[in-house]
Amino acid sequence: MTAESKNVENDKQQLRTGLWATVNERYPGSMITKSDFVALAKSKKPLSESRLTFVSTAGVQPKGSLPFDTVHPIGDYTFRCVPSDSKPSDLEIHQLKYPTSGAERDINVIFPIERLQELQAVGLIGELAPNFFSFIGYNMDAEMLERTLAEDLAEAVEAEGSDVALLAPA
Amino acid sequence: MSLQYLKEAVAEGDNESLIRYVRLHFGDGNEAAGAKEIDKAWIEALKLLLDVPKTDREFILETLAEKDAATLAHLFFHLHFYFVERSGEWIHDGRV
Repeated sequence: MTAESKNVENDKQQLRTGLWATVNERYPGSMITKSDFVALAKSKKPLSESRLTFVSTAGVQPKGSLPFDTVHPIGDYTFRCVPSDSKPSDLEIHQLKYPTSGAERDINVIFPIERLQELQAVGLIGELAPNFFSFIGYNMDAEMLERTLAEDLAEAVEAEGSDVALLAPA
Repeated sequence: MSLQYLKEAVAEGDNESLIRYVRLHFGDGNEAAGAKEIDKAWIEALKLLLDVPKTDREFILETLAEKDAATLAHLFFHLHFYFVERSGEWIHDGRV
């Protein structure tokens, strides 16, 4: 197996077909079939010299910002900027589809902002980008999700000069 | 269900698929639970009107006359969750 074909095999594993099958059982017809696939970019420098941002589907947002639209039947295709120096008490969760009781007690279990601040403080992470980003995962229009939310998010991440983006589904 | 699936259902007049989608949304993927949730919201709304309390009909009529149908549809979904939450029987994992 060549190095290139090995990379292709590794990339295919990231599609997590088992996860999609589970989602499809709960919401029939929601299976998204992708014919194209963009491989993850390789990191160009050590984490200790990198600027890191965090992107989450947890529905975490600064208190006072417009709540995520959790009732809309087709979803919410917006995201919120969460200042990376926020305290947990600055944040709240608007999300209907996952249990939030644990996160209400300690938001780090779903949005590990204090852990990332600590890793930056001890030098494991070079620096944190000014903002982290959050949205909700209940989005039925795959096209709009990809063309609007994903591209807007990528642009926002790029605009802050992040070298690394930590992605975490809720 | 993907948006494409729903649009095809609209084009084909497949109302069963459309209402099934609503039930799945309200029941977090459980159709039977979603049907109960719809009933729960209507029961809660009905209970509030049994004593014929004074209500702001001017607001209601102005809202219906002045707001576009999509906004009213969006409000309809909000009202569902409002009355479900008010009933005190919350089945969802998270909060609105």
